Amino acid sequence: MAAAAKGSAVCVRAYSARPDSARDTLPGRAKVTVHALKKMHSDGKPIAMMTAYDYPTAVACERAGVDMVLVGDSLAMVALGHQDTSQVTMDEMMHHSRAVARGTRSAFLVSDLPFGAYHADIGDSVRNAVRMVKEGRAEAVKLEGGRHFVSRVDAIVNSGIPVVGHIGLTPQTAVSLGGFRVQGKSVAAAQHLVDDALALQTAGCFAMVLEAMPSLVAETITRLVSVPTIGIGAGSRTSGQVLVLSDMMGIFDRFTPKFCRRFAELAPQMDAALVQYKTDVKARRFPEEGLHTYAMPAAAEDRWREHVLSAYGLDLDRAAEPTAQVHQQQQQRSSV
Amino acid sequence: MHSDGKPIAMMTAYDYPTAVACERAGVDMVLVGDSLAMVALGHQDTSQVTMDEMMHHSRAVARGTRSAFLVSDLPFGAYHADIGDSVRNAVRMVKEGRAEAVKLEGGRHFVSRVDAIVNSGIPVVGHIGLTPQTAVSLGGFRVQGKSVAAAQHLVDDALALQTAGCFAMVLEAMPSLVAETITRLVSVPTIGIGAGSRTSGQVLVMSDMMGIFDRFTPKFCRRFAELAPQMDAALVQYKTDVRARQFPEEGLHTYAMPAAAEDRWREHVLSAYGLDLDRVAEPAAQVHQQQHQRSSV
Repeated sequence: MAAAAKGSAVCVRAYSARPDSARDTLPGRAKVTVHALKKMHSDGKPIAMMTAYDYPTAVACERAGVDMVLVGDSLAMVALGHQDTSQVTMDEMMHHSRAVARGTRSAFLVSDLPFGAYHADIGDSVRNAVRMVKEGRAEAVKLEGGRHFVSRVDAIVNSGIPVVGHIGLTPQTAVSLGGFRVQGKSVAAAQHLVDDALALQTAGCFAMVLEAMPSLVAETITRLVSVPTIGIGAGSRTSGQVLVLSDMMGIFDRFTPKFCRRFAELAPQMDAALVQYKTDVKARRFPEEGLHTYAMPAAAEDRWREHVLSAYGLDLDRAAEPTAQVHQQQQQRSSV
Repeated sequence: MHSDGKPIAMMTAYDYPTAVACERAGVDMVLVGDSLAMVALGHQDTSQVTMDEMMHHSRAVARGTRSAFLVSDLPFGAYHADIGDSVRNAVRMVKEGRAEAVKLEGGRHFVSRVDAIVNSGIPVVGHIGLTPQTAVSLGGFRVQGKSVAAAQHLVDDALALQTAGCFAMVLEAMPSLVAETITRLVSVPTIGIGAGSRTSGQVLVMSDMMGIFDRFTPKFCRRFAELAPQMDAALVQYKTDVRARQFPEEGLHTYAMPAAAEDRWREHVLSAYGLDLDRVAEPAAQVHQQQHQRSSV
């Protein structure tokens, strides 16, 4: 065995996830507030929003200095493996929101209210919005829907919680839209989206997500409302953009939505890393003795070998053989 | 695998995509470890994660797992108060968490719990050496078994767990020689982490071996990928492209109305709102000023 005596120094093995607040944020960036977002909007500076669904994805967003972090219910599919977003519950969304909040410092944190949380009545909507702030640690909530949801938006805003609207393709109710389809392609459909946007603004949304609509329609809305619009599949003439992190990181190697650009290709690397790990384990190349391992102090090691030989008849000096043979020999020894 | 002397490859996963990655690579065993309390949830240690949270993550991992053998950790507190608790929570982890086996930390003081869970029909993976849930009582995250007496305790733990019915056990952070001793004395597979190469298999925390945190790597871990710098670069590029309006690219990442509808839309918007979409968009502040002026005319 190659290892030199390690002495009695404490080998502190700390997990890699201990938050290090000084390093996990963009140095010198002030906290992004509703006012800061408003200023970016009036200055014509595009807002960068990104989804996160747990602590490490939140920390990555924080390090990059994205303006807004969204705990989107897309996590139902990309993190939890569901077929769509309709199954995720308030408790699950709050669990993930809390994890994201632990990694978020200066970015503005918005969390989705999941399907069903704001549908039955206004009381439900306000209660769940409050829970998302209180227990989920969000700064604002997002909910899907247009003019039919203004009473809910109004009630939540009046209870003191900022609301981000979401119109266009609304994934929670994609079934009723006929699937994940582009919205607003006709004049009539586009007009409905404009009506939705103006209604949501009147109800008090401080921003709204525009999803999967023609760029011209998104531009129209952006120029007619006085609050920031955050687009996804809505062109570059909105007030900002949002993407699903798992899509833009190439974490799923299957397909990328048309409106997404892959800024990294992580899936092939994760695959290669795991295959290499497996290969190295099978070949006993990992761990490497002395590099990844610990040893007793030399004197203790000698005493241990003697002790094990006399107590168990096990000769540690002899190179270990495949387990079956070793056990056979032990059984033979004990039956002698 | 164990009797053939073929090392077992175990890896942690904590959600659907990490489970799918393990499945694609064909690792033998997937562990929903309570290390997720720190690496996925951002807690300071593993003691805060609850049964409900562990089951939530176990379910997500199960959705991505097909052929690998799925083991989930029982969290701190779930198997401590009494045997009834231990069995109930093990059952929940299988029923609701969709695990095939459970892992719990502790040696000879936990044999009655292991025995009860095994007798209820649920396979148990033991875990001795550095036991993170109770690291405080061990004086921190320290290597165990460095003296002859300490090493003997670990051997006693291993033999006791075997007698109680563990079908495998994790050996964490101990001298390689001690892990080898245990491996050769028991007849069940040992899965090592920081325990050398002469165990029956290995396990690592995925977030460590993937370099998801760019800060440091535990001594016993090798980085098989460097993902953090790439995630950082990707997000910085995204932000840069958004600021410069270089993402999304019109035509590539966008949708359009049919040409005829587009023409009608421009006319409609001009007459209904006085908004001229042909004119290049100006910064929002100026546009709104002009709208106010128009409506006050």
